[in-house]
Formats: sequence, structure tokens, C-alpha cells
Amino acid sequence: MTSLDLLLILSGLTTLAGFAFGNHRAYPWLAGIVLTAQIVILASMPLPMAAGFGFEMFGHPVGWQMDGFGRFFALITLGAALASVAYTGGEWGERYAAGGKNLRWLHGALAGNVLAMLLLLASGDLIAFFIGWELTSWAGFLLMAQGGERALRAAMRYVPYAMAGAMAVLGGLVLSLTWTGTLDLSQLVMLVPGLANWKLALLLALFGTGFAIKMGLLPVHLWQTPAYAEAPGAATAFLGAISSRMGLFGFGLLLVKLITLTRLADLSFIDGLFSARDLIEWVAALTIVLPTFTALKQNDARYLLAWHGIGQSGYMLLGLVIGDATGSAGGLLHVFNHATYQAALVLSVFAVMHRTGTADLNSMGGLVTRMPLTFLVMLLGIIGLAGLPPMNGFVSKWLIYRSLMIEGRPLLFLMTVLGTLGTILSVYKLIHNTFLGQLRAEHEQIREAPWSMLVPMLALVALAFVTGVAPGLALNYVNEAQAALGLPVMAHTLGGVESPRGSLDMLWIVGVLFAGFGIGALLFYGAGGRSKRIHQLDNYAGGHFLSADVRYQYSDHFYAGLMHRIGPLYRGSFTQMEAALASANDLLASLMQAWYRQAVPALTLLIATVLGLAWMIWR
Amino acid sequence: MSTLKNIPVVSHEKPSGGTGNLLANVFDELMAFCRSRSLFMLHYCTGCGAIELPPAMTSRFDMERLGIQPMVTPRQADILLVTGYVSTKTLKRIILTYEQMNSPKYVIGICSCTVNGGMYWQSYATAKKLNDYLPVDMYIAGCMPRPEAVIHGLRELMENIKKGESDNWRDYYRRYDHYLGNQQRLFGENWQTPTDIIGEARHYDLMGPETLGPHTALLEQHQTPLKPFEMTLGLADLPVRKDEPR
Repeated sequence: MTSLDLLLILSGLTTLAGFAFGNHRAYPWLAGIVLTAQIVILASMPLPMAAGFGFEMFGHPVGWQMDGFGRFFALITLGAALASVAYTGGEWGERYAAGGKNLRWLHGALAGNVLAMLLLLASGDLIAFFIGWELTSWAGFLLMAQGGERALRAAMRYVPYAMAGAMAVLGGLVLSLTWTGTLDLSQLVMLVPGLANWKLALLLALFGTGFAIKMGLLPVHLWQTPAYAEAPGAATAFLGAISSRMGLFGFGLLLVKLITLTRLADLSFIDGLFSARDLIEWVAALTIVLPTFTALKQNDARYLLAWHGIGQSGYMLLGLVIGDATGSAGGLLHVFNHATYQAALVLSVFAVMHRTGTADLNSMGGLVTRMPLTFLVMLLGIIGLAGLPPMNGFVSKWLIYRSLMIEGRPLLFLMTVLGTLGTILSVYKLIHNTFLGQLRAEHEQIREAPWSMLVPMLALVALAFVTGVAPGLALNYVNEAQAALGLPVMAHTLGGVESPRGSLDMLWIVGVLFAGFGIGALLFYGAGGRSKRIHQLDNYAGGHFLSADVRYQYSDHFYAGLMHRIGPLYRGSFTQMEAALASANDLLASLMQAWYRQAVPALTLLIATVLGLAWMIWR
Repeated sequence: MSTLKNIPVVSHEKPSGGTGNLLANVFDELMAFCRSRSLFMLHYCTGCGAIELPPAMTSRFDMERLGIQPMVTPRQADILLVTGYVSTKTLKRIILTYEQMNSPKYVIGICSCTVNGGMYWQSYATAKKLNDYLPVDMYIAGCMPRPEAVIHGLRELMENIKKGESDNWRDYYRRYDHYLGNQQRLFGENWQTPTDIIGEARHYDLMGPETLGPHTALLEQHQTPLKPFEMTLGLADLPVRKDEPR
């Protein structure tokens, strides 16, 4: 039995245990220990590691094998699951169960997601990949559907997307089998780049559609926000942190390993001007900008973060497709970084929801005095999401910016900066409307979130901070992933990058940053450190006398000035497109139905049978 | 009250001899100089004098070259500019705004109305003399004073600040009872603002002989002090929200 077998068996047992006794008090501890053990096994596994089991299907061997690229994603998956299980394990889960919901299904679905993703990430051939892909989609559906009626509706919306994506992937699988005669990834790597351009373009279109749907790339991103936002608590964090990155994993395999980036650049739509690679880069860039500015308009904290999850995936794909050492390292590192701070942010939003009962950004405010640690988590999280030092989001975004500048893509660089601007604006809205400003009278009595929720949140932001100060810790795994994909490997130090193409040392940057804080503190405390805390009603409102029933913090229509300028640009084109597709689908379905059910069924059946038989005989 | 002599004059008692540290005075003078060259003003535009401020602020007279510029909140402002007649209702707001400003702070009364009620002398609803209720540092008289006069007044104030002669804001703390008494006479006995002047005076060592008195005693009788929200973890000690499901 190899250690990959052990890993998968442990994951399978956790899933069974989750469904069997996930509501038991001991389950979170057990699952936490098993997940930690899995992380240790995975991190110490020599690579590549093949699984000891496998089977044959239609004469093609189906097997599993973990390489550096898969391990990078698998580690993040297990880490996100660990944080989610710990968060769910305490008071949050108790209240969830007390509300009449099924904790066993939640834990089981969460562990099932991990298992499905591990199977996907360790796939050694396209059949194993497709099995993992389908399992991931259905496990994801199971997790999304737990959160009540709205969640179920959002999950149902995901189903046609997932099925279309799976059909496209299956089509790509069949075509690659027809054209190369094999499904084994190690052989496909050698055979696929030699295919004709139109065949590659078709493979790209089919596989790309499937992966884009999972990842939430424009224009097939609409399912993701409600499905992720409405899922219950820790499930939202897990889904937002890692689930849709499976699409990026697929893109990594497809674009970098199978088709290869040089062949991708050959697939020109307009000779020498616009290739498939440019197309993907621009789709990624638009995926950064448009969802980020949609997030700006959200009034529900969960939706705001879910839209950012879509936007940030654009950075990852963009970095990966640029394909130089710096850019691909940035793109891959962003997967890890995004998982850490996004999970922390989502968990902090649910901690606030746990206490106040709402995620509506227009009915909170001033909670910093009541939930200071949750505030700290959200503050550090949004610093990471906005890509500012000292958090790790800065490092990966810096690598991507740097690579775009060096590789001579100024317009794409502009798009990424525009996306970051939108991110900063919207996360400021998030923290302002939740924690700053006036504390509402109905929230005066609330308390900080319980430790069972605080510890995973604080651990996640601590991880985001540590890997921000010392990105070398995470870059080791990124280098492995780069090597496994056949990308150039970026040399790194503990503090960042040391290369003639641009250096970054976070140890220095963070040192200078904190020295600045230190000087400020010295000046303040050296001058006596006198401060006076005043009441929130002792506030200026044009001289108006404030009382507890007077609202002076306005959160509604937060960026009125900006919306005056860019508001008309929000036209809901994608929603309209989705609706048009849905009604076209409806029309087609009703035509089919009319054909086989209502209009003289016996005759139709007879005609079809005769024609079918005639075709077979003639053939 | 109608003679000039009755206008309370602030006594500038400088500690003679000081601490003996020469550098201390140098530092103080540097501070005073910097302070005089960086004045943010909150203009509480109550009357017609406000119309003279735009030319004073913009390119024609350009008060920003003197380091003076408008500020939107009292917390960051140094000067409170009251530009005209002050009705009883407005005066409450002005006092609240003044009390919310951080020390050192200066009050400038523009137009005759702030000096003696001006053309509203006979009005029952207008406060006649601003410095009965607030310590005014500079009056700029006129109906209305031209921008040159406004600039001139501001320069005078800058000069006073530089020389350390303009510290009437201390007077508000030292003789709070006097000002509060005048305010109570106008607004009634249960007049109060959310700010805690006595607490601030204690906190910053600004207590004077007349900080406390009969009027502050009256204030304390009916005042409900606002307790600021302490930032607290409150994991165990705070009560549970009533409708919080357990």
C-alpha cells in the first residue's frame, strides 16, 4: 500500500464517518486529527507517487498518481477543509443542528468534497480525471444544497452548468482518444502538441468550456456567486477557498502540459495578431475586472466575497498563461494566498452573522468595539485580498504585475491594476459597513465570536501573514508545481525573489513597514500618549444633537459618486445572455417534447424505427 | 454688560522662570510658529458674512497661502468661524461644535452681529454677544467685513498665536462655570451637550478656579453621562443578546 493509497483511504473513511456520525461531539476532533495526518502524509510524500490500485476500462488502464502540481492543490484543499471542520465543530455547528439542519450531511459532504478533489488531483489518465471531475461537481452540489431553500435554488442553477461542462470535458476526452489512441496523461503529453491546429482548437474549446465553468470564468460565471454565498458557513469558506480552483487545475493540465503554451500561441485567429493565448489572457483579465466591480455593488457581505472569488481567479489564470517563471509562480502562489485570506474573510463574515443574524451590509456598523478579534481577522483578510503588504496577497500580485511588465503586456497590466482598484474600494465598503462607524442600538449587547470560531480564523490570517513575510515557505511547493507542469522554475529566497529581472524581499518590506509603525508609536507615547475615548453620539453631524435612534452612518448607496460615473456601465448583459440561453433551451426542449409525445406518437415512433433500420441495413 | 469693561478679559499668566530649560522655550516657540502657519477652519456660516468667505478662500485673496484652509469636521479643525447673527437655536449647535473641537482651538466672530447683535439687536431670538457663551479670540467687525478685513483678522490671529497670546480655549475650561451659566440662562436649566468638558479639564490638567461652580452643579443634577464603548473581548462577561438563540 503506497502513501497515496493511505491518503485516499483516510479521506474515504472521513467521508463515511462524516455521514455516519458527523453530529457527534467527537467527530470534529477526529476529522481534525485525520486531516492533519493527511496533510503530514501528503507533505512528506516522495513524488511522483502512484496509487497501488487501479482498473481497466475498455482496455485502457485507469490509475492514480500524485505529482507536484496536484500536491500543491491537494495541500490547500486539506488545509481549507481542516479550518472548515474546526469552525463547524463548535458553537456554530451546535446552532446549525439546533436550527433543524443536518450536521451529518454537512460534515459528510465536506469530507466527500475533499475525497473527490484528491481523486481528481491525483488522476493519472483522462478517465480517472473525468471520474474525479464528476465526483467533484456532484460533491460540490451536495455541499451547496445544504443551506436552505435559496441555497438549493442556487445549487440547482449550478446543475445545468456542471452538466454542460462535464459533457464538454467528456467530448474532449473522446476526441483526444480518437486522435491519439491513448488516455494516459504521460503519453498524451507527447502526442497532443503534435496534433493539427484545428484539432487543438477543438480540444481547447471543449476542455476549456468545462474548466471555465468550474472556475467561473467570464461569461459562464453567473452560477458561482449565489451557489457559494448561500452555502452554510464553513462550506462557503471551503468552496470559496479551493473548490473552483479545480478548474484552474484543469487549465494548468490542458494549457501548459498538454497543448503547451507555445502551441497555444500558434493557434492564431488573426495571423500574428491574436492567438488563442491572447484570447485566454484577455478572458482572464476581464474576469478580474468585471466581477470585481460587480462585487462593489453588492450589499450582502457573502455575495461581495463570492464575487471577489471569481475576480481573483482571473489573476491566477493570467499568471499561469503568461507562463514565464515569475508570472506562473505568481499565478500558482495566488491560489494558496487566496485560499488563506478568502477562507478567513468568509469565516469572519459568518462569525458576524452568528452574532448579529445578518450579513446585510446596510444593517450593521460599529461592531469593532464588540467583536475586535473578528475585526482583526477581517482587516488582515482585506489587506490580503486587496494585495497590500504585509499580507501574502501582495507577493503573488506583485509577481504577476512584474511578469506582465517584463513580458511587455501593458494593457493587461492596466486591467490587473484596475481590478485591484475595484478590490480596494469594495473591501473598504465591507469593513466599513460591518465594523466601523455607528454601533446600532440592537447590537450593543452582542459578544465576540466563540473561540471555536476564532481559532480557525486567526490561524488562517496568521498563515496569510507568515507566508506574506516569508513567501519562500509557500514558494517551495509552487516550484514543485511549476516543475511538474514543465514550466520554468522561479528561483526564490525565504523573503521572496532574488533575480536580475526584479527582486522582492518581504522581510525588508515588512521590517520597514513595522519600523514606521514603531516610529509613530514612539512619537505618540513619547509625547505622553494622551488620548481620550469619546462616545459615538459625541459626533459631528453639522452641529446636530445625536441620539441612539438617529442614524448618522450612511452605508446605503456607498459609492454614490463613483456610481454616478460608472453606474450606466452595469447593464446585466451576462444575466440577459443566461436568460436567453435558458429560454432557447426551453424552446428546444418543448419542440422535442412535442415531437415525441404529442404529435401522433405511434407514427413518429414507426418512422424513426423504419429510418433507423434502413440506415443500419444500408450501412 | 453693555460696557467694554464688562467683557471678560483673559489674563495671560505665563509661568515666570519656567523650568529653566532653555530648549523647552525654543520648542514651544517652534510649535507656536508651526501652529500659526497651519490653521484649518470650520466655518459655521450662520449669516450673510459667509458670502465674503469664498473670495477670501479662492484665488483673489487666497487664504491658503497663509496656511489656512477649510476643514469639514470639528475634530480636525483649529478655527471655528462664526459668520453672522447667532439665533438661540443655532447657538446650541455652535456650542456643541466648539466643544467637539480639539484643543488648541480658536473662535473668530465675523460681522457686527457676533459682536453685539448688529441689526438684530432688538430680536428676542438672537444671542447678542458671542463671547458670553464661547471664548472668542478675534472679532472682525463690519456689516459685512470685506475679504481684506477677513484676511487682516486672520493674520492678526496668526500673529497672536505665534506670540502665544491667543489661548482663550483654556479659558473655556478654567471658567466653564461662567460660560455654562450664560448658556443655561438662555437655554434653560436642563441644557447639556454630549461632551464632557469637566472630564476633559480633569484629563488634560486644565482645571481652573471657576471650572466648577453652581451652574456645573446644576448640570450634574440632570446630566446622563455617555459612557464610551470600550473595546472588549467580552467572551464571558457580557450578557447574551436577548433574542440570540442558544
